[in-house]
Amino acid sequence: MQWDWRVWRDRLVHVWRGSLRVRTIVLTVLLSALAVTVIGVVISSSVRANLFDSRRDQVIAESGRAAEQAQRIFTTAAELGDGTDVQATADSALATVQRSTTARYTALLRVPAQDVPRVIDDQASRDFQPGYASTELRATVIASDGTDVAWQSVAVDSEDGLDPGITTGSILDTISAGRYQLYLVYDLSDVQQTLDFVQSTLAFGGFALVALFGGVAYLVVRLVVGPVRVAADASEKLASGQLEERLPVRGEDELATLARSFNGMADSLQRQIRQLADLSRVQQRFVSDVSHELRTPLTTIRLAGDVLYDQREDFPPTTARTAELLHTQIERFEAMLADLLEMSRYDAGAVQLETDPTNLVRLVEESIIAVEPLAEERGSEVRLVAPGGYFEADVDARRIRRILQNLLGNAIDHGEAKPIVVYVDSDERAVAIAVRDYGVGMSPADVERVFDRFWRADPSRQRTTGGTGLGLAISLEDAAVHGGELAVWSQQGEGSCFRLTLPRRRGDELGGVSPLALPPDAEVAA
Amino acid sequence: MNARILVVDDDPAIAEMIGIILRGEEYDPLFAADGKAAIDTFRGERPDLVLLDLMLPGMSGLEVCRTMRGESGVPIIMLTAKGEPTDVVHGLESGADDYVVKPFNPKELVARIRARLRPSLPDTTERIQIGDLEIDVAGHEVRRGDERVNLTPLEFQLLLALAAKPQQVFTREMLLEQVWGYHYKADTRLVNVHVQRLRAKVEHDPDNPRIVTTVRGVGYRAGAVT
Repeated sequence: MQWDWRVWRDRLVHVWRGSLRVRTIVLTVLLSALAVTVIGVVISSSVRANLFDSRRDQVIAESGRAAEQAQRIFTTAAELGDGTDVQATADSALATVQRSTTARYTALLRVPAQDVPRVIDDQASRDFQPGYASTELRATVIASDGTDVAWQSVAVDSEDGLDPGITTGSILDTISAGRYQLYLVYDLSDVQQTLDFVQSTLAFGGFALVALFGGVAYLVVRLVVGPVRVAADASEKLASGQLEERLPVRGEDELATLARSFNGMADSLQRQIRQLADLSRVQQRFVSDVSHELRTPLTTIRLAGDVLYDQREDFPPTTARTAELLHTQIERFEAMLADLLEMSRYDAGAVQLETDPTNLVRLVEESIIAVEPLAEERGSEVRLVAPGGYFEADVDARRIRRILQNLLGNAIDHGEAKPIVVYVDSDERAVAIAVRDYGVGMSPADVERVFDRFWRADPSRQRTTGGTGLGLAISLEDAAVHGGELAVWSQQGEGSCFRLTLPRRRGDELGGVSPLALPPDAEVAA
Repeated sequence: MNARILVVDDDPAIAEMIGIILRGEEYDPLFAADGKAAIDTFRGERPDLVLLDLMLPGMSGLEVCRTMRGESGVPIIMLTAKGEPTDVVHGLESGADDYVVKPFNPKELVARIRARLRPSLPDTTERIQIGDLEIDVAGHEVRRGDERVNLTPLEFQLLLALAAKPQQVFTREMLLEQVWGYHYKADTRLVNVHVQRLRAKVEHDPDNPRIVTTVRGVGYRAGAVT
C-alpha cells in the first residue's frame, strides 16, 4: 500500500511538472474556488445576521406588546377588587398572549422565593421544556422590572431535529399573587429555510462560477499552450533530423510570430546542414579522387623502385644505395599516404566497422609476435600479462591490430631497451588492453599533445618504426569508432602507459570505467 | 609456351611497368586501356589470366569482370586502388578470383599470379564422390549424374580441397593458404564470397547447403553435418 501511494504521488508530481496545461487549470480552479468560498461565506453570514436581527427585533417587539397586554389584564383585575378569581385572570392573560403572538410555546412561571401565597399555578405549553429558558435568562428576567424584554437563542425540538429559535422573557406583576415570569419561545425555522435557500443558491452559483473559470482557463491554455506544444513537437522532429518540419502560420498574433521565427530558424538550419552535407560529400569525393590519383603513380613508382631495389647488387655502390633510399622512402611515403587517407575518411565520417568475433588475447599475442624482431633489435623484452579477456569480442580486428602495432611500436621506440608489459583484462562490461613501457616517459605538456596530428615526442629521437605522426591520432579514432577509449598515463623517467578500453558488446556505454587501472602495475602483479 | 596475361589499366605507365615485371617472370603481357578494348582482346586472344583495374573509363571494371566471367573461368585478379572494403566485396561478387590493392610490390603481384596459374591440387587422380556430385580430378570436371557442373578453376580447386578430405573441417585461413596461396593473414572475405558462389552452382538449395557446409565459428567442410 505504501508503495502504491508513492507511485501515485510520483505520477501526480510527474503530471504536475510535465504539463503546463494541467498546472494552469488546476491553479485557476483552486484559486477561484478559494475566492468564491470566501465571498460566499461573507455573503451568507451577513445575510444570516441580517435575517436573524430583524426577526429578533420583531420577536422582541411582539413579546413586549404581549407582555404589556397581559400586565394590563392583571392590573385591571386588581383595580376591580378582590372578588376576581386570580387564576381566571391569569388564564385569560395567557390566552391573550397566545392569541397575539406567533410564539410556538408559552410559559408562565412564578418567581421563586416570594412572601405572597401561591394562588396561580405555573402554566406552560405541553412541549415547553425547562431548558428553553436557561438559568441565566431566568436570572436576568427575575432581576428586570416590568417593561424590559430579555432574550436568548435556543434550539427548539421539531419533527425533523432541531430548529433555531428565540426565547423571550419578561416579568408580570399579578399584584395580588406576586411576580410571574412570562416566557415565549419562537421558532425561527422559516428564517432558517430562507437562509438555507440563500446558501444553496450561493453554493450552486459558486460551483458554476468555478466551473466557468476552469472552462475559461482550459480554453485559454488550449489557445496558448496548444500551439506551444505543436512548436515543441516540431522542434523535436527537427532535432531528430526531420529537417522538412515547419509550423503552420495563422494570423498576426504572437503565436504567428513564434511560428514564423521558428520556421526561419528551421530554414536556416536546413540550409546550413545541407551545406555541411555537401561539404562532406565534396570531402569524401576528394578523398576518393586523391586516393585514386595519387595511388596510380605511386603504384608505378613503387613497382619501379622495387625492381631497381631487387637488382641493387648488380649496381655500382652509389646507385645501389640510391635504390635502397628510394625503396625505404617510397615505403614511408606510402604509409603516410595510407594514414592521411584513413584520417580523411574519419574526418569525413566515412568509416565503417567490419566486426568479427575476435579473441583479444590471441590478437595481442599475434601483435606481440609481429613486433618481436624489432623489440629484440632494440633490446626490449615484450611480456604479456592477461588475467582476463579470453572471450570473443565483436571488434574490427584490422583496426584493433593497427592500434596495438602503433602502441607497441611507440613503446619499443621510447622504451630505452627496458621490458615492455602488455596487460589484458576484462570485466562484465568492458575489456582493456594496456601497453606499459619503462622508458623515458613524457612531460605533462607532452601528454596533453600526444594524440595531436603530426606531433612528435622528441624530434631529435631516432625513429625505427618510421611513424607518420598520425599513428596515435588514428588509434584514437579507431578506439572511438568501437565506442571505446584510448587513455594515456606518463611520467618522465618512469615510462608511459597507453590503455585501450572497449565495450564487450557493440553499442554499450563504457561509463568512464576500465577493467585496468592506469598504469596497471600495482593492481596486476607483473 | 609462356602464359599470356591481359593487363587492363587505363594508366599507361602502370601498365608498362607491370609489363616489365611480367616479362621478367617469363610471362607474355597483353594490354588494354579501357573496358571495350579489354573485352575485345579477351575474346580475340584468349589470355590465361586477367589483371583488371576496377576504375576504368567507360565501362566499369565490375561490368568488365562480370562479362568475362560470364564467358569463361579464366582467373581474374582485380587491381583495386580504393581502400574501401565494400569495393573488394563487389569485385569478388562480380567474379574476380583474387585482388591486389594498389600500391603493391612486384613480389606480391607475381605470387598472386602464380597461385592462380599453377594451382596446387591435391595429389590424387581418382574420382571423388561428394553427395550426388562426382569430381573427376584429372579431367577437371564435376558432374551431377550425366550433367556437367560448370565451375571456374578456382571454384573447382576450392571444392576439390574440401572434398579431398571430407572428414576435415577447414578454417578460412587454411583455405586461403591452400587455394589462394596466401602464406600470411589475408582477407577471409575471399573465402566467404567464393563459397557463396560455389554453393550457388553445386547446391540444390544454396540457403540450405548439403555439399559445402558451414561449421559455425570454425570454417567449412564437405558433406553434411553429422
